[in-house]
Amino acid sequence: MLDFCDVHKAYPTPQGPLRVLDGLDLRLAPGESLALMGESGSGKSTLLHLAAGLDLADHGEVLLAGESLARLGEPARARLRRESLGLVFQQFHLVPSLTVADNLRLQARLAGREDAEWSAELLARLGLSALARRYPEQLSGGQQQRLAIGRALAPRPALLLADEPTGNLDETTAGEVLELLLDLVRDTGCALLLVTHSAQVAAPLDRCERLSHGRLDHDPRAARP
Amino acid sequence: MTHLRRLQRATGLAMAIALCLGLAACERTPAPSSAPQGFAGLGAEGDGFAQAGPNQRLRFPEDHGPHPDTRIEWWYLTANLEDDEGQPLGLQWTLFRQALMPPTERPEPATWSADQVWMAHMAVSRGDTHRVAERFARGHSARVDGQAGAQAAPFRAWLDDWELSSRRSATHDESFGHLALSSFAPHEQGTFGFQLALDAEGPLVLHGESGFSQKAADGQGSMYYSQPFWRVSGDVTLDGETRRVTGRAWLDREWSSQLLGPDQRGWDWFSLHLADGHKLMAFQLRGGGEGGGDYRSGTWISPDGETRALAEDELALSALGESRVAGRDVPTRWRLEVPHAGLDVEVSAPYAERWMPTSVGYWEGEVVVHESDSGERVGEGYLEMTGY
Amino acid sequence: MHTAFLTLLSHYRRHPGQLAMLLLGLWVASALWSGVEAINASARDSYARAESLFTSGLDGLQRADGQPLTRDDFLRLRRAGVPVSPLLEGRLEAPDGTRLTVIGIDPLTLPGDSAFASTDNQADNRATLANFVTPPWQTRLSPDTLGAFGLDLRNATGATPPLADGQRLPALSLSPALPPDTLVMDIAAAAELLGSGDTLTRLVAKAGQLDEAPPGLALTRADTQLSPGQLTESFHLNLTAMAMLALVVGLFIVQAALGLALEQRLALLRTLRALGVSGWALVGLLALELLVLGVLGALAGIASGAWLAQRLLPDVAATLGSLYGAGVSSDLRLPWHYWLGGLGVTLGGLLLAGSGVLWRAARLSVLGLGQAQTWRTGFHRQLRLMALGGGVAALAALALWGWLARQPAGEGLMAGFGMVGFVLLASALWLPPLLAALLAWLSARLRRYALAHWALADLQLQLPRLSLAMMALLVALSANLGVSSMVGGFRLTFLDWLDQRLVADLYLQPPVERTEEIHAWLTERPEVAELLPTRRREATLVATGVTTGAAAESPPEETSLDRPVVLYGITPGVRLMPSWPLLDTLEGRDAAWAGLAAGEVFINEQLAIAEGLAPGATVTLAVPGQRETRRVLAIYPDYGNPRGEVLMATPRLAKTFHAPPRSVGIVLAEGVSSEALGRALNARFAQGSDALQDQRSVKRLATTIFERTFTITRALTALTLMVAALALLASLLAQARERRRHLAPLWALGVPRRRLLWVSLAQLGGLALVTGLLAVPLGIAITAGLVGVINVAAFGWRLPLHIFPGEVALTVTTAVGVALLAALLPALRLWRASPRALLAEETPA
Repeated sequence: MLDFCDVHKAYPTPQGPLRVLDGLDLRLAPGESLALMGESGSGKSTLLHLAAGLDLADHGEVLLAGESLARLGEPARARLRRESLGLVFQQFHLVPSLTVADNLRLQARLAGREDAEWSAELLARLGLSALARRYPEQLSGGQQQRLAIGRALAPRPALLLADEPTGNLDETTAGEVLELLLDLVRDTGCALLLVTHSAQVAAPLDRCERLSHGRLDHDPRAARP
Repeated sequence: MTHLRRLQRATGLAMAIALCLGLAACERTPAPSSAPQGFAGLGAEGDGFAQAGPNQRLRFPEDHGPHPDTRIEWWYLTANLEDDEGQPLGLQWTLFRQALMPPTERPEPATWSADQVWMAHMAVSRGDTHRVAERFARGHSARVDGQAGAQAAPFRAWLDDWELSSRRSATHDESFGHLALSSFAPHEQGTFGFQLALDAEGPLVLHGESGFSQKAADGQGSMYYSQPFWRVSGDVTLDGETRRVTGRAWLDREWSSQLLGPDQRGWDWFSLHLADGHKLMAFQLRGGGEGGGDYRSGTWISPDGETRALAEDELALSALGESRVAGRDVPTRWRLEVPHAGLDVEVSAPYAERWMPTSVGYWEGEVVVHESDSGERVGEGYLEMTGY
Repeated sequence: MHTAFLTLLSHYRRHPGQLAMLLLGLWVASALWSGVEAINASARDSYARAESLFTSGLDGLQRADGQPLTRDDFLRLRRAGVPVSPLLEGRLEAPDGTRLTVIGIDPLTLPGDSAFASTDNQADNRATLANFVTPPWQTRLSPDTLGAFGLDLRNATGATPPLADGQRLPALSLSPALPPDTLVMDIAAAAELLGSGDTLTRLVAKAGQLDEAPPGLALTRADTQLSPGQLTESFHLNLTAMAMLALVVGLFIVQAALGLALEQRLALLRTLRALGVSGWALVGLLALELLVLGVLGALAGIASGAWLAQRLLPDVAATLGSLYGAGVSSDLRLPWHYWLGGLGVTLGGLLLAGSGVLWRAARLSVLGLGQAQTWRTGFHRQLRLMALGGGVAALAALALWGWLARQPAGEGLMAGFGMVGFVLLASALWLPPLLAALLAWLSARLRRYALAHWALADLQLQLPRLSLAMMALLVALSANLGVSSMVGGFRLTFLDWLDQRLVADLYLQPPVERTEEIHAWLTERPEVAELLPTRRREATLVATGVTTGAAAESPPEETSLDRPVVLYGITPGVRLMPSWPLLDTLEGRDAAWAGLAAGEVFINEQLAIAEGLAPGATVTLAVPGQRETRRVLAIYPDYGNPRGEVLMATPRLAKTFHAPPRSVGIVLAEGVSSEALGRALNARFAQGSDALQDQRSVKRLATTIFERTFTITRALTALTLMVAALALLASLLAQARERRRHLAPLWALGVPRRRLLWVSLAQLGGLALVTGLLAVPLGIAITAGLVGVINVAAFGWRLPLHIFPGEVALTVTTAVGVALLAALLPALRLWRASPRALLAEETPA
């Protein structure tokens, strides 16, 4: 589903280039769920951006569904994001001008594969049916993140990328949201790459990798099951 | 008598006009100039102009007319009158001429070109009332049809409709002896002016040295003659009301190119009709005398017109009292002595408010003459004071 | 407090764009306003100088038979005791083509308390008068006339510059109080320069000194002469209205910037409150901030305004000169109160624009910390208020219109401007609710098209920010369309009218004394098909009458007046009659022309409107010693003439009112060249070449004057439009960060950047298109107001309403173009921003 082969990524800083990823290798099989852990600034978000084609590697290759992102043009990468990926951000990034229902359907509609039934089911399962006509800023944090998850899953993506999806939520809410996320991932059969710094969040996932110094640590759990 | 005044006015002419134009900033204050030029510039150098001098002979009637080659000139008439009810009135009528440039620099006599500026003053006074008017005109000496001017025979001196002219034709010998004076001016309280007939009862009087009147110890002076023997009758209008009047008048003619010495500040000038038929012209120029003192001169005129020029030591003048007039202190009471004629009189103005608020201001008014000892009234006349 | 103030200001260090936008708004608003005010102030200074010129406060005397006065007339009157002074007036040309008015005076007789007396207080030289009245004389002139001779202040005094004809002026002497392009000198010097010989232009007397005109002369009282200030009042009101418009548009920007700066500092304000700064102290600090910014912006604006005025003034001066004959200096002269006034108006406007912000800051709740913004509710309430306010403004406009409809034509200039202002205000206020409704409606329709749906929804979100800029755009666009339609319509009408009025091929201005001779000669010439002599004379309209009832015999109802008018004689010949334009006649054109030939009159539109006269009314005209009543048979348009005019047949005018001859129109026979006749005329009469003008050059001159008349109007509307574009740009820049935050997720969701760019442009372009379309009917309404109400009151003539599809298309295109241009910069910045950075940007608290 997702392959990182010897990926290097550095950012220019006044103190010289900052090497964020340094020969990283990573594989994610279809339907597999992987937790990516690491300290702040260890390159978790960068990895996620490279995976989504939001940014390109300096060296090495990122393959998504077998296609090398670097070899695709921007429009093709955008199409791939639209159709094959779901993104969940720590900051939710909902569209304030659209209602809850329209936010949820947004990506599916952009991808041209809206499934009204599935959308309705998602709304219901995310507990947002009663709030469908509201606007994002009228929701609580947990509700907003649930909506973001719904938006990401509405087009039935093959891979869901989640960046600290519970980072902005309190503990109880975080638990509920995570549970919902995993349930839905499981039901749709899509792969999941979840970035977190919380072991508790990482625990229910199939696999867990730790990122440090731009590479994956060889954690005992890194071995294939 | 009033020549000086005229002088002042004449000198004032340029300034007056400058004021009227707003071209000068000297406002209403007498012109203080850094370089001494005498009162109102009358002491300015007369370069290029014809100069008055002791060896010139006056010729009549030619000298009744203008002398454009000299800087300044005037026809100056004052009258002490009485109306039907015996109430005294005074009047003054003066035509001033001032040359704008020496004769050699005169412009062509084109339509509007000018080498002379004319100014006329008139005043009528009765009791506290004193009405004054002033007019100006340009002229060219080569043209006789101007807005203002003067001619010798038949005699005529005019500015607009203000006119002093002969009642006889040019061929008449006595053309200058019978004049008509007419002058009217508008005023808020009503028109004022006069329409008078003047008849000379005596000869012309030449002052100084056969008409050359010295004005300073250094020899500067003017050509100066008078007709002091006018018998006057006619109408005077004041505040729109006209009265028959009779009385006496005095006409001065004077011209010069440098009347005053540079250090002379002003003058006090008397023209008196005495009850016994004598007339007296007396003046003092303040400054410009020997050693910087005052310069005095005069003419004692007998009833038949014989004259005796009064030297400085034959005439004594002293101010006895001042009046506050138009913001100045003006000596309106004088003691005047002519010892050889046995004259010792006090000359005073019954009404002090006789300031002439013209472009250059001066005091000009009727006076009465009382004997110093007895206090008896022995005459009347006019007094002019400048430079106060 | 010091710390709190610096903390508040630190916001602008983080957001220099907002500061720039604020200052920009203040700057352009006050620049345009103070520019126009500078023009007005400078013109008023010129009028004041003209009015204080000695000639304007004096009664004038001229010969009743129109012949020139001579020195003998002057002497005769003086000798009769009439206190008049001779005045010679003429025109001379400076080397640079400037037409100079030469006034020759006789300072010795000029009434002494006239204003010339205060011309100069500096010269304290007794010789000054002598220098003035004796050769080589002096020329007194104002320093702003020096430019015509290529002189400046340093080398002016004493210079004797040459004129266009090679004559040299007497030595110059400066008199700042004199009007521009006016030379005052002794009458002798003027007579020599002008070659006027014995003749005079007129005799003057102290106002009110003469009870009646002396026999054979006509007396013009000083107080019946229209002063340039009165004549041009409406023109300046026009300018002021334009400047006001620019000021308002500029303040729109300021208001938008202030709102944004406050909104983004709400958290900061709450923090400061929580740290112990009192609410009132905060308001005070914000007010202080406003004051500092206001002074900065206003000073920059006023300085630029003065610069702008300097650029525009020559055209304004030319306009006023040609339209009203008012001499206006093309050098800027600004009184001290101009600078203070400019500062005051700008600060006042800023306070008005900022009062909302201060009010909100004052009501800020400390506990509101972190509370979600209820902008949606707030904005809806705002929209309702706007709709309501718009309704009130519309009602006010309607009320004014109703009032104006019941006024006599030509009244109510202020009300006219008020009406146009209210229409603009109503439209501007209605715009945001209208746009919001439109967007809501469309977005409901396009739900299925995700990107379009999103774009519309997003526009609704942007609307609160954009609405002010869009309002400014609407106002500027419609004012622009209104003015350009008016000018365009006027242009068409005016050119037509010129064609109709200028029927002769040549126009000859012979010297008065040779008129008959030349006329006789021309009549004999085979090249001449027809002669159209004219005559002209000043007269007084002393009464008008309206015949009541059916019986024309019944005595008319009379109104007494004392209005100076011009009597103008034309020759109703075969060439002229069919083409001379008439607006209204009593019994048709043919009857009107027959009546004119028989001695009745036509009046111009200005007079008809001013006195409420219609065909069939009677006018009683008086010249000294003469009083005649005539019937008005027709009304004709007379564009560009500030005065009332009565038209008669030339022979009748000559006979009845002894009007002196003026120019002669010469209609040439078929196939004859005008050059040949011109040469023959010159050979025979030694005419100066400027005495003869061909029709084309007259038209060219008239058209040039026309174009200059509206240069300033056009320039101001164009500038207003630029300000509106700036407002839009500033609004977009100010919300650029927020826009990026809104667009980034979309990009993350798989919308390519290029499409996002297009969507952004389409959003704004669409909004502007709607605004532009709305500006069209509004602009037409404004045109109608201008030609139907304001022009009638300001200039005295009515114009037909013309609508130019080209102008309309241009307006709409401009709207979209301006919006796209303004959107391009933020969009490009979005395009070039690193997408990763977009996502990483923090959501502001």
